Parts: sequence; C-alpha cells; structure tokens
Amino acid sequence: MKAGTARRKLPFRVLARMLGRSFFLQASWSFERMQSLGALYVLAPALRFLYRGQDLEEAFRRHLVYFNTHPYMAPPLLGAVTALEEEQAQGADCAISAVEFRDMVMAPLAAIGDALFWGGLRPLAAVIALFFAFKGSLLAPLVFLVLFNLPHLWFRCAGLWRGYSRGLRLVETLQRLRLPDWALRAKEATVVLLGGLCAYLTLVCLKQEEIAAGWGLLFFPLVVLLGWLARKGVSNLLLILATLAVLLLAGLIV
Amino acid sequence: MTLSVFFMGGLAGLLLGLDRTAAGQFMLARPVVAGPLTGWLVGDPLVGLQVGALVELLWLGRLPVGAAIPPDDTQVAVAGTVLAVAAGHYYALEGMLLILLSVLVAMPLGKIGQIFDRLARSRNSRLVRQAEADVTAGRTAALERRHLRGLIHFAAAALGTYVLIVVPGWLVVRFAGERLLPALDGMDGWLLLAFPLVGTATLLGTINVSRSLTLFAASFTTVLLLLWLL
Amino acid sequence: MGIVLARIDNRLIHGQVLEAWIPFTHANCIVVANDELARPSLRRAMMEAAVPRSIKVVIGNVEEISRLFANPAFDKERVLLLFATSADALRAHRRGIGFKELNLGNMHEGQGKYQLSCTIHLDEEDVKNLSCLELEGVEIVSRCIPADRGQHWKKLIRNMPG
Repeated sequence: MKAGTARRKLPFRVLARMLGRSFFLQASWSFERMQSLGALYVLAPALRFLYRGQDLEEAFRRHLVYFNTHPYMAPPLLGAVTALEEEQAQGADCAISAVEFRDMVMAPLAAIGDALFWGGLRPLAAVIALFFAFKGSLLAPLVFLVLFNLPHLWFRCAGLWRGYSRGLRLVETLQRLRLPDWALRAKEATVVLLGGLCAYLTLVCLKQEEIAAGWGLLFFPLVVLLGWLARKGVSNLLLILATLAVLLLAGLIV
Repeated sequence: MTLSVFFMGGLAGLLLGLDRTAAGQFMLARPVVAGPLTGWLVGDPLVGLQVGALVELLWLGRLPVGAAIPPDDTQVAVAGTVLAVAAGHYYALEGMLLILLSVLVAMPLGKIGQIFDRLARSRNSRLVRQAEADVTAGRTAALERRHLRGLIHFAAAALGTYVLIVVPGWLVVRFAGERLLPALDGMDGWLLLAFPLVGTATLLGTINVSRSLTLFAASFTTVLLLLWLL
Repeated sequence: MGIVLARIDNRLIHGQVLEAWIPFTHANCIVVANDELARPSLRRAMMEAAVPRSIKVVIGNVEEISRLFANPAFDKERVLLLFATSADALRAHRRGIGFKELNLGNMHEGQGKYQLSCTIHLDEEDVKNLSCLELEGVEIVSRCIPADRGQHWKKLIRNMPG
C-alpha cells in the first residue's frame, strides 16, 4: 500500500476524546520535556484504538519524548500525527514516520502560534475589550472572550479534523493560510487601537485635573523615552514605579 | 465579611490559575476577565473590572515566548481585586485610589510569587520520569493519572502565589493605606496615566511591526484632536 | 548594515527568534546556514511558512551562504544569521562571514553534552570550536531572548568538568 492512500478509519468518538483531552495538553508541563507527557495523553485514545499489547507499549514509548508547540497548534499537529500512525499501523511504507514528522513541525508551528495567538489575537482582543472596560462596561470580559475564543476554538476543532484528514499535507494547508501575515495585521491593528485608547485616557485624566488638552501631546515623547528604557532591560515594575513618582511630582507642582 | 472575601478570592485564584497554563486556556486567566470575575465572586465586579483593565494594559505586550515564563498577571489581577474590595470595606471608601494602591502592592508580590509556578513546573519533571518507568514496565493505564496529577501542582502553585500576594499585601494596604490615602487624595488622575504610558512603551518596544511608532503616533494624535474638538 | 545578530540555535527559525530577536534587532532578513536544510524538505517548508512575507528568508548550506555574504548588495540588509551548531559557525567564520559577536541561544542536549544553563548544552567539541572563534576575535555571549541578561560564555563553562 502506498503512503497517503490508507483509509482513515478512526471513529468519531476517538477524535472527540482527543479534542477534549487537548484542553489538558499542558497539565504536566515541565522544564525538561515541556508538553511531552501531555502530547501522549492526547494521542493515547488513538494509539489504543490502533495498537494492542506489545505494539501499544512500543507506540507509547515512541511518543514519550520531548514535545513542545503552541497549545492551540497541537490539535492540528497531533491530528496529522494520528493519521501517520494509522498509515504505519496499516503497514503503509511512509516516507516519514509519525515521530519524525512531529519533531520537524512542532517548532515552526510553535512560532506561528506564538505570533498569531499570543502576539496578534490576544493583544488585539484585549485592546478592544479595554475600550469597554475604561468606559466602565461589564461587557469588557465578554467581548474579550468572544473575540479571542471564536478563532481559538475553531482552530482546535477544525484543526484536529484537518490534521487528521490531510496527514502530511497539513503542511501545504498551513502554508496557504499565510498565518504570519495575519498575525502582523493583527499587531498593526493593535497598535492603532492602542493609540486611540491612550489618547482617550490622556484626555480623561487631563480633564479631571483641569489642564488644557494640548498638553496631552507630551504623552508621546514620554512613551518613546519609556520604550527606550524598556529596551535597555528595565523591568515593567521599575518603570511603573518611576513613572508614578514622576507623575506625582508633576501633579504636586501643577 | 472580609474573611469570606479572601476565601472566595482564593477559589477564583485557583480556578483561574489553572486556566492560565494547565487546563483549558480559554483566557479566563487574562486580567481583563479574571479581575471582573473575581470581583463578581466577592461582590463588586466593577472594582474587579478596573483592577483587571489596569493590569491588562500594563502587560499587554508581554508574551510567553519559548520557555520564558511571563509575570503572573492572573494572580496579580485576582489578588489586586480582593485587596481593593477588602480595603474598600475596611476604609469605607471607594474610588480609583484604593484600586491603584492595591494593584501597586500586588505587582511586586506577584513577582515573588512566581517561584511557586517554577516549583510546580520542576515537580512535573518527576511525573514524566514516572510515566517513562510505567511505560517501560508495561503499565500503560497509569499514564492518564500521572499526567493529570500535574493539575494538582499547578493548582497548588496558583494558590501559593495568591496567598503570597494577599497576606503581606493586606498588611501593607492596612498600614500604608492609613497614611498614603489621605496624602494622595486628588492625585488619582495623574497616577492613572502611568499605566497606559508604561504598557504602551513595552508593547511598542517588543512588537515586530516596522512602523509601530509612526502608526501609534498617527492614531494617538488623530484621536486626541478629534476628541478635543468634539 | 550587514549582520545585526549571529546566533547558534539548534531550533533555527522559531518563536524566540521571530517574536523577540527580530523586533529587538529590527532585522529584515533571516539567513540560515545549515547543510541539512539546504535541500527542500518538510522542515524547511514549515520554517519558511512561519516567517511573515515582510521578512526575507535565505536558507542554504554553509558554503553557499558564505559566498552570498561576499556580495556587496547584501550589506544593505539587516541580517539575522542562524547556525544550528558551533561547528557550522566556525566554518562560516573561516569562510569569511565577518560577524564580531556570536549569540548562544539554544544548544540542545545529547550524548556527551553537559548542561550549562537551561538551554545550553556543550561538549568538548563545542568548547574547542568556540575557543577557536574567540581566538579569531569573536565575542561569544549566551542570551536566550533580549529580555535576558547576557552572560559571557567563559563564565558558563567554568563549572564544566574536565
């Protein structure tokens, strides 16, 4: 049998269990092996379906090695790994083994996920929610959760399915999606919205202290100065304390 | 009354702390959600919302990249909310000043509390080794149990961090608050500005958008002028 | 501008490089000098897919990359140069890629390697290569992400046996 032509036979309930388990991927995150045990925990229902006895032990041993990727990228990746395992179990001669595939793809997928979810989507959803929060609306957490979790959950559910049904060709799908470019767009949107939010907050503060709004433009050089300090490695905690002290002085003088 | 606030806060800290890494990751652990949720549990969601918003803004740009562990903004938001609500009861006061004080007290303590998270993650190494021994011995059924035991470590770490912020934090709020609160009266507008300043500065410094400074400046000035004129 | 960062990182293009070092150095071009990745492969395809289109990626074996740097057109780019091993870094330096600083990011564990920090594992061979590089005037500092404090590599290997 040729690789890639093997029939996908895993029943739906096994995939559903893998999906459910994927939410606990990082329960045993450790410095040494990171998500190693977690990945095996997600794969276990599929491995139990595919192998018995000695073969099952062998499969478990194979997969209990270093593993680390972005938690939301793990379902598509582990879906594809499952497909490869299934082909191997059916005796297809694969160009690349499931474990090799895992090792190759996890680091780039981690990079894509970090950029897309932690760097792009999360700050974007948070900035939008912050507009609601500073207006005093309790909708803020709801807005954040919906904006963030719709793509998140879609990625997990559709990702696991796509990974499983496409196997090795998951890589092509991911290339086509151009996720890093989407991440960049999200970051740009975050910066623009953050500019608006800061302007709003500055005006509110100036109004409260009864100062002309034109002074708000001073905000900008201050950000540049603080950004320079942050790049030099000064921690946020120190920065906030220093800024508070300076602002207090300013408040006392004015 | 105050005791039940601390207790409910602990419950929130534990559950939200689990969402942070170990289970779910629905981002309930983000300050902008964790704050109001905790506030709702202890009877004042609006205070929680304000605490959460400040903490969120401050750490907007901090990403968990690779093996680096970012500051535990979840417990800072949860404990900050608890401190603010408890202090509100104690001083029979409300307003921004209490919230600012609570967040500022919670931040450095949260930094110390990170050792618990590190501890949990090193403890988990042992689980992986035990799982290896299990698989070698053919005990494949034990795997799930081993893995989920990590949840206990993470839950304990979350609770540990929470207690480490709330207990000394409460003492500071009670003793420093007596003197600081009257002295700072009327300054909260100024102090509030520090959060967008520092949060923006770190975000712009760490984001890989080539024109981030220009984009920010353009949008900031436009909105400022628009709001001013309208 | 030329090389803004030369780094040994066995994971090559990944999150720390893309999310932390690229914004810190304002690099607009990633160059990977690695013999295994020179041929088309899944790993290479995935790595290229992880980089946004606004950043150029050049992947080739050590020789190709060395020749590339001889081209003056390359001086205009802000290059982030990645190696997987200390041996590759030494070879590249001897072939004329003139980096003056070398960053040690991730060097993974293996047979005969000693763990010297969370992410850095070295063996005798690595130490020899790095010493050669240092003799040739390269300053070697271990620093995982920009937010970390850099540490001179001699300080790291003090507690290495032998």
